This record gives sequence, C-alpha cells and structure tokens, in this order.
Amino acid sequence: MKTFVEIAGKTYETEIKERHGELQITLDGEPCEVSYAEADNLGQVILIHGGKSYAMSIEGSPSEVSITVAGYRYDCALEDERERAANLASKAASKGGGLLKAVMPGVVVELLVEVGAEVQEGQPLLILEAMKMQNEIGAPGEGVVQAIHAGAGTAVAAGDKLITLAAKPE
Amino acid sequence: MFKRILIANRGEIALRVIRTAREMGIECVAVYSEADAQALHTRMAHVAVPLGGMLPSESYLDMDKILKAAKDTGAEAIHPGYGFLSENSVFAGKVKAAGLAWIGPPQGAIETMGDKIVSRRAMKAAGVPMVPGLVDPVDDVAMAVRDAEDIGYPIAIKAAAGGGGKGIRIVREPSEMESAFRTASGEAVAAFGDGRLYLERYLDSPRHIEVQVMFDNHGHGVHYFERECSIQRRHQKLVEEAPSVVLDEALRAEIGEIALRAGRAVDYEGAGTVEFLWSAGEVFFLEMNTRLQVEHPVTEMITGVDLVREQLRVAAGEPLGYEQKDLSINGHSIEVRVNAENPFSGFLPSTGKLHNLRAPGGPWVRLDTCMYRGLEVGLQYDPMLGKLIVWGADRDQAIQRMIRAIQEMNVGGVHTGLPAALQVLEHPRFVSGDIDTHFLESLTIESPKEYEGLAAVAAAIYRHKKMNRSALAPAAGSRAGWSARSRSETTSYVQRAGMESL
Repeated sequence: MKTFVEIAGKTYETEIKERHGELQITLDGEPCEVSYAEADNLGQVILIHGGKSYAMSIEGSPSEVSITVAGYRYDCALEDERERAANLASKAASKGGGLLKAVMPGVVVELLVEVGAEVQEGQPLLILEAMKMQNEIGAPGEGVVQAIHAGAGTAVAAGDKLITLAAKPE
Repeated sequence: MFKRILIANRGEIALRVIRTAREMGIECVAVYSEADAQALHTRMAHVAVPLGGMLPSESYLDMDKILKAAKDTGAEAIHPGYGFLSENSVFAGKVKAAGLAWIGPPQGAIETMGDKIVSRRAMKAAGVPMVPGLVDPVDDVAMAVRDAEDIGYPIAIKAAAGGGGKGIRIVREPSEMESAFRTASGEAVAAFGDGRLYLERYLDSPRHIEVQVMFDNHGHGVHYFERECSIQRRHQKLVEEAPSVVLDEALRAEIGEIALRAGRAVDYEGAGTVEFLWSAGEVFFLEMNTRLQVEHPVTEMITGVDLVREQLRVAAGEPLGYEQKDLSINGHSIEVRVNAENPFSGFLPSTGKLHNLRAPGGPWVRLDTCMYRGLEVGLQYDPMLGKLIVWGADRDQAIQRMIRAIQEMNVGGVHTGLPAALQVLEHPRFVSGDIDTHFLESLTIESPKEYEGLAAVAAAIYRHKKMNRSALAPAAGSRAGWSARSRSETTSYVQRAGMESL
C-alpha cells in the first residue's frame, strides 16, 4: 500500500512492505534502507539511514504526524491511495470556499481583506488578538470573501463566525 | 531577612523566586488558581494557598485574596514576579498598608513609569535622551500634522495607555497622517478607554537594548550592564542575549549611567529595567519596567549575580554592599523562550497535554520552566512555558551551545517556538550580529529540506506501525475541503476554549 506524505506543501510517495517482520520501504520509487527502532513507548525513535543515526520524536494520529529531528519540526499529513482518491474527488467537487470561525476567544484587531477579494489557502485574512498575542488567521482554503461577520475591534468567542468564503468563480 | 514570603504569581517565575528563597533559608507561600492546582510552584513551595477561580481576575489579580493569604500564612513580604500585579501601584500600596514588605519599587516609581506621558516628562527633566517627539499628547489631526513636521518622518503614533506594541501606527508621509491618526485614536479608545496619542520619530532598523538596574533604600544603585532583545515578533521577545554586540565600552558605560539617572529621578528601589532603542549608534529611552523581567537570567549568567537574591536583600532593607566598579561582564549568555505556539502557522497559540518531555543538559545550560509531563497547556494564561538559557565564553560558543541545547530538548503534546529560535540562531545575519527588531518578522519559518525525506519515511513507518496496532482506520475523506490539520487544530482549540469559565 502506498502512503502519500505531505510536508510543507511537498508530497512524498512512500511504500512499505513487511516481509518476515522486516520493513521494506521505498521513497518516491527508490528503495530506502532504514532501521526504525522505538526507544520507548512515548514517541522517541532512533532512525538509522546511510550510516547515520537520527534521534526523532514522533507523535500524532495516522493521518497527522509531527516529527522533531535535530530540533526542527516537520508536520506531515498522510493519506493512503484510497484516501487520496477520495480527498481529491471531494476537493475537486467543492471548488474551495468555506466558513472561517474563531479558533479561540479574542478581539479582531485588524482585517486584512475586503469583501470580494480573492484569497489563496493560508493567506492571512485577519489578526485576532488573544492572550496578549496577535495572531494572523489564514484562509482555510482558496475562495472569494463573501461576507465579513466580525469587523476590527469586535470581541469574538471561540466558534464565532469571522469570514465566509465563497467558491472561486470558474 | 524575611522568614517567609508570599509569591503572587505562577509558572516559571514563581519557581524562580522559590528557588532562590529556599537557598536563602526563606520559606515560600505559593498561591494558585483552580486551573493551577497541580502546578509545580504549588509543589515546590512550603505552603500553597488556593485562591479559587479559573480566571486571572478571580485569582492572581485578586488583591484582597492575595493579601488575605499572606496574613493567614504569616508571610512578611510579597514578591509579585512579572505580569499580573507586578506593576500595579495600587497593589504595592495595599501591601505596604497591610504592614507587609513589597519586593518591588515604591508606589510612586511604578505610577510615574507606568504612564508613558508622565514618564517621558520625568525622564526628559532628568536628562535622559529621548526619541525626537512630543512630550505632550496630541488630541487633533491638524496639530498632529503640524507637529510631525518638527519631529521629522517617519513618525510613530502611539497610544498613551498602550503597551506591548498595541495601538502603534507608523506614518511615512504627511499624506498618510490624517487617516492613520483617526484610526489610531479610535483604536486607543476601544482598547484602553483612553484616546490620548503621542507622536515620535520612528527609528529604522532599531535594536532593543535594555539595562538592568538595582537600587537599595540607602541611596545606592548599580547597573548590571545591558541585554539585547531585538529578536521579537509583534513586540513579544523570543531570543535575548547579553551583552549586546553593538555597544562598545564607552557607550556601555554611558547607557548604564543614563539608566541609573532614570532610576534616581523616580527614587527607585529594587530591581528595574530601563529599555532603550538603539539606532545608528545612538540610544533613546523607551520605557522603564518596574519589575524583574522574563529575560533577567542572561544578566545573571554574565555577572554571576542572583538578581532575585538582590531583590530580597534590598526589600529587607539591606544595603547592596558593593559598587559599580565591583561588577564586570564575563562571557556571553543567550536565552530562548519556550512558548506554546506554532511558528509554522503564524505563531498561533498551541494547546495540549505535555508528554514526551526531554530537558537538555550539559555544561552551562539552564532551564527555567514550569513544564512537567501531564501539564495541560490551555489558553487561560500566557503561552510561555519556560526559558532555556546558556552561557558561553564568547558569543559564538553561546550560539553553538544554544543550538545544541535546543536540539537536545523535546516538548511533545504542543507546538513550541523552538524551531523558529533554532532558525534564528543558525541564520548568518544573527551569527554576525546584524539584527534589528524586524529581523524575526522578516523570516519565513521553515524547517530545512535536508531532513524532509527522512521525516516522510519515518512518518510513514509510524503510521504503518500504528495502524497495525490498532484496528481503527482513519476516516475516509479526512482532508476534504478544509485541510485535516487546520480542522484538528480548530477542534482542539474549540474543545479547550469551550470550557465554561472562558
């Protein structure tokens, strides 16, 4: 079974086969020889590859894995072929759009877009201040700003509507 | 010396004070909110008093509850830490009125330095160099446009009651002044209920440099040199160091003298920090923080002085017992704040339950933290979980040691800003000392590509093993429309933030 691993916008294709308890792995079609040993049950893993040993901390669910190696963190989104096909189909059907809600209680400090603006996934839409910190809130997907529910200076509770995105016109 | 003190704070700073107090044979009283019932500071203190309540206003900000706890436990003095009531002059007054010692500056000094306009007036009178600007606030646009000509562009418009970077607007041309002034004024009224604004020159490529001072109540004061805190984002500091690479001996002595003058002008007692902006070889007074600061350890590392010990001694009426000439700088120190935030998605606060925790160690590495396995990191309090501090014989050694320490450290369960700090420390501009307060915001936080392939392989194996272990398959279509990651983060925020008390 192939597994697609997306890290920072780039997708890696991996395949894992288990024969007699040994893992055979390919990365983007090339065989990749690694030894993977769990040091404890808490997520400490020792990965040996190319004569080098990498101490990793791994945590997450089967579809969302976070890896820390050499102090750097890699957030990985994983899907197998079946999930990938289903996700691609539903993404194609939705054409973007969606509703942005406040992820935490706070105050909308600044709006960075206006109604009618076309936005890309991840583009900052507004700045929400919570716990003394100002946080840029990005677009959940691409689309066109259809409505702004909370203007600058508005206090919002977690779950309150902030911005509605409509699907991008064809 | 006191026999017993109360610490009106939580988190790593409560631990910091408790540690020194224990070393001095002083007993500590911790106070805690409902949310902090398991917190480390309640376990390390000799006595822990519950204040009840989930909100800061019901616990760490409730003056009467804290004073009652001090009375009930027989504490002789109150250490306010930083944040919460530390710069509240009313509280300082109440503590003294209750017959207790206040481990902080006099009420009058807190009041003067707490108001931007009053403090500017006092500092100007004391001959402290200021950023070209107005001492008095402006209340109308026409006046602002006229005064701006005298100050010179670019101009920063600041709210008189603001702080932490709130309500600051930068105007580069006269044509932008009118609209910027109106917005800033409106925001200041909305945020602070005080629409007074003042104007000053905006400094390009500024560096944040601050001087640690300490005064006893016998008329003596010293400074412990400077710290540089230019690595900040939206005025929240991430990496701090001491000494600063841009000060030579002459400017170092001068800035120290200025800081002492600033303190004397308000009859200061105890520990304080005079903040400056450095630009093109000149320093300008920014503000004075009338408390112990988060980044005080870097000063301790290069001077060998325990600042909390000095605070306690001075508050108990002891003389400092040494002079400026007795102090010197040894080596270099760097501090990195460990905040629960995700640097890869705009430093959004991150919540979760800590696990998979590994503390760095080795020579000249210090970790001041309130973290423990099982700690629930929520949104009730400041996201700072701790501070990692290193010392090195010189700056290069300190940088390499900090990189090594961050690579050793692991915090599982939440995202932290550590990868961002690592990126800063490895950046050629930081290494060469060419930084300013905009540096961090100019970086795109990303992990190096070299480990990406390996991370992908490791993630796939992790998933493979996890799926083999569990019969639970992930739901199909989990990445439809909204990405699964943003959704899972949203869900966890909402679940935690949805608690009734918030």
